[in-house]
Amino acid sequence: MKKCYRYFCGLIDIQESWLNKMAHKGYRLVKTGKLVYEFEKGIPDEYQYAVEFVAHKSYQRGEDYKRFLEESGYNVFYKNANLNYSIGKLKWRPYGEGMGQISTNPGSYNKELLIVEKKNDGKPFELHTTSADKADYYKPIRNAWLTIMILPLGLSLWRFMDIKAHPYEAVAFLIFGLLCMIPVIRYQKRISKFSLQAKIEE
Amino acid sequence: MRDNAKSGALTEVTFFVLISLYEPNHGYGIMQFIEAKTQGRLILGAGSLYGAINALQDRNWIMPLDDGTGRKKEYIITDTGKEVVNSEIRRLQELVRVATDIVGEKI
Repeated sequence: MKKCYRYFCGLIDIQESWLNKMAHKGYRLVKTGKLVYEFEKGIPDEYQYAVEFVAHKSYQRGEDYKRFLEESGYNVFYKNANLNYSIGKLKWRPYGEGMGQISTNPGSYNKELLIVEKKNDGKPFELHTTSADKADYYKPIRNAWLTIMILPLGLSLWRFMDIKAHPYEAVAFLIFGLLCMIPVIRYQKRISKFSLQAKIEE
Repeated sequence: MRDNAKSGALTEVTFFVLISLYEPNHGYGIMQFIEAKTQGRLILGAGSLYGAINALQDRNWIMPLDDGTGRKKEYIITDTGKEVVNSEIRRLQELVRVATDIVGEKI
């Protein structure tokens, strides 16, 4: 049994490639906690991992999707993208779909991601394979980053307008806001690419 | 899922999911059906299939079969779905006819 402490927040691709690197070394995921991943030692490259964003789905939709993946022969773990220990939490997600806009703990809060495990059959492990579906999948992820980005940029503007405020405050918020803009742009590029492909292919 | 409402053209995935459900089938079975029938040319991810199944259920082209055991959910094509498949076959035959008239039989 090997325990690893990691926190990837919303960096989905990085978490996915880390899990696959661990699998390459022969470590199979057995349990996830808020900050901890527990592995057992097995054969290298026996399993493949995909990390799936589900924070925009309602609790029921998320559960239904998880069950569907399990019925398709995969092992599925819930994973948090947030780091919040409060119970009885209620949060508004502007990027959610329908009831997915409201997240509660216990409920869909701290279950923003799914880690999906597949037995390695030599083929690439992709949950989304059509261009139209890929574009649809990336949209809520972009919107989530957009939501995160707006707050520091707004705060930066507010500090900038305040003459008494120290200019560093505005700059600090601006830098944080611009950092959050990187994933927004990255996901937007993917969405545009796959939307265009979907128009021609399908 | 971007089926063309005007011309009635279905995406390849939609078409394959529909014809895989003339016999009751579950998600994993649909994926295997598509991979086998296309000799691995078309591989459908579980996430994309989940979206397709939900969209087709909303249109009432397929429906879930309740076997009462609560185990793997199976689906079957509806009569509406079968009509859609028939008109797609006619459209594809027409398409092939027009194309071979111009391009010729040899490819």
